[in-house]
Amino acid sequence: MNKRRATWSLLAMMLCLTVMLIGPLQTAKAAGDQPLIYDEAGLLSPEDKEELTIMAKEYGAKRDTDIIIYTSNNPEGQDVQIMTEDFYDEKAPGYDHPLGNAVILTLDFNHRDIYLAGFYKAKEYLDDQRLDKIRNKITPDLSDGEYRLAFEKYIKTVYKYMGYKPGVNPDNILFNIWFQLGGAAVIGIIVVAIMTSRSGGRVTVSGRTYEDKSTSGVLEHQDAYIRTTTTRRKIEKNTSSGSGGGGGTTSGGHSHSGSRGSF
Amino acid sequence: MSVIEYKCPNCGSGMVFDSETEMLSCPSCGRKDNIENIPDPLKQQANAEDEAQEYHCTSCGAVILTDPETSATTCSFCGSAVVLGDRLSGKLTPAVVIPFAISKEEAVKAFKKWCRNGLLTPSGFMSADRIKGMTGIYVPFWLYELHNNVEVHGHATKVRIYTSGDYEYTETQHFEIYRKIRLNYLKVPIDASEKMNDELMDKLEPFPYEHLKEFKTPYLAGYIAEKYSYDDKALLPRAKDKIREFIDAYIASTVSGYTSVSYTDKQIDTNAKQADYALFPVWMVQYDFRKKDYTFAMNGQTGKVVGKPPLSKAKVAAWFAGVFGVSFICLKLISWMMGGGFL
Ligand SMILES: [Zn+2]
Ligand SMILES: [Zn+2]
Repeated sequence: MNKRRATWSLLAMMLCLTVMLIGPLQTAKAAGDQPLIYDEAGLLSPEDKEELTIMAKEYGAKRDTDIIIYTSNNPEGQDVQIMTEDFYDEKAPGYDHPLGNAVILTLDFNHRDIYLAGFYKAKEYLDDQRLDKIRNKITPDLSDGEYRLAFEKYIKTVYKYMGYKPGVNPDNILFNIWFQLGGAAVIGIIVVAIMTSRSGGRVTVSGRTYEDKSTSGVLEHQDAYIRTTTTRRKIEKNTSSGSGGGGGTTSGGHSHSGSRGSF
Repeated sequence: MSVIEYKCPNCGSGMVFDSETEMLSCPSCGRKDNIENIPDPLKQQANAEDEAQEYHCTSCGAVILTDPETSATTCSFCGSAVVLGDRLSGKLTPAVVIPFAISKEEAVKAFKKWCRNGLLTPSGFMSADRIKGMTGIYVPFWLYELHNNVEVHGHATKVRIYTSGDYEYTETQHFEIYRKIRLNYLKVPIDASEKMNDELMDKLEPFPYEHLKEFKTPYLAGYIAEKYSYDDKALLPRAKDKIREFIDAYIASTVSGYTSVSYTDKQIDTNAKQADYALFPVWMVQYDFRKKDYTFAMNGQTGKVVGKPPLSKAKVAAWFAGVFGVSFICLKLISWMMGGGFL
């Protein structure tokens, strides 16, 4: 009896250990070797590249996604979306396995085009709208030649947006920490102000207290309809998330979300 | 003979008004007399004498020192309750009085309880052990009967928003509105004493009118009473001002079901039908806290306490921090439930 119990406990312990050891090992392996910055256009100094790589690794690990930057002078004059798709098929990035979760920022210096693509988890969490938002955030800096700054913004925004459930607006004011702090402070001030003003007693009488109900009342009452005015406004169509718009499928058969533009 | 005292027919001691039984009672032998049955000496009195005269206590003969507004007090030498008849006769005779229902002991207790309930007051204040004085004062009020004829013209809208096809339509219906209202207010109280803080007295309301009694001087025995500093005509503008917001609220209550209402013309014709001179019971509390004097007033019938207590900065800060923290967590939770990250 005792022996049997001991065996079971041992087995359970070993199972636990295996899970505990193998789990982290698998993820640890992933981020390690593959580069995340492919600066073929040569925009970055070696230090910038190294620091951005560390940053992309750190933020990407929290979202189980490879955050990739790909710049090219594109001498063949390929389309920026095709470039991005081929890049994914060829380099096969992905956080925990090849051809997995990845978001790619491609800069084509031939046409000065920009393309953002999200694969798998990044496709789900970074739909076309969110990628549009990221692109709009970094385009001014790219146009100014502030590449390092733009890339930092890109990494941080990808990290931030992937923290919100798919489908919600990531720039909703309610999600803003300053709004939350400010709102809480305003509520606090209002409550304390009310308490302070009430500490000295407050007026508790109203007109009803002194109204002579037997003689008071409405003697005449008219509500005359005059006219109706109508204004109309065109409803802005919100193309919902998922396929369509900027996304597509690579020749290798991997579908992705996307956003394209120029800088 | 303008100084009135109530001597006990049994033992000769000074009698005072007892708030519990509403009778004139003798603290020495316990005799109680029904106030309704006592002939009011005011009624037998001749016309009022000079303002500048001296009053002498009928018990000990000492000069009674009073403010010119005081119409009842206690002799500072022997403690007898004295009523200064000529300051309550003629034009100065109150029509009605609400007697005290809360005795001094009950008032002290009620005040201490109120102090303990203060959420923002310093803990040293909450123990309420620094009461310097507790004075029962009959405060003069004017009770106005105000008849109002109100006529309002205005413009109102009803807005409906709907979508059809690719468009959002905002449909606004416009209405011309008219109301003719008769609005009568009875016994609107305005405090008529110069000494009393108007704001404090306004907050003391409501005074329970079911306890209004025809005025009789024995009600004042043992308390301080003041005579009015301003007559009913002088205070009519304040009374009109006071009912103005009542009238506005009433008008608004008759115009309902609209999205927006704006008044183009509001005519309020106020007619002061009557103004009765009344005395209302108020306990004034003098409180000394950290070398500063605080004044509170308590409704002598309902026990409602008003007056600015000291505030503890630490408690205000603690409340702010607490409310801030809870609201912040709530906002975080809302954001989290809507799909935002928790951090
Ligand atoms: Zn007696
Ligand atoms: Zn005396």
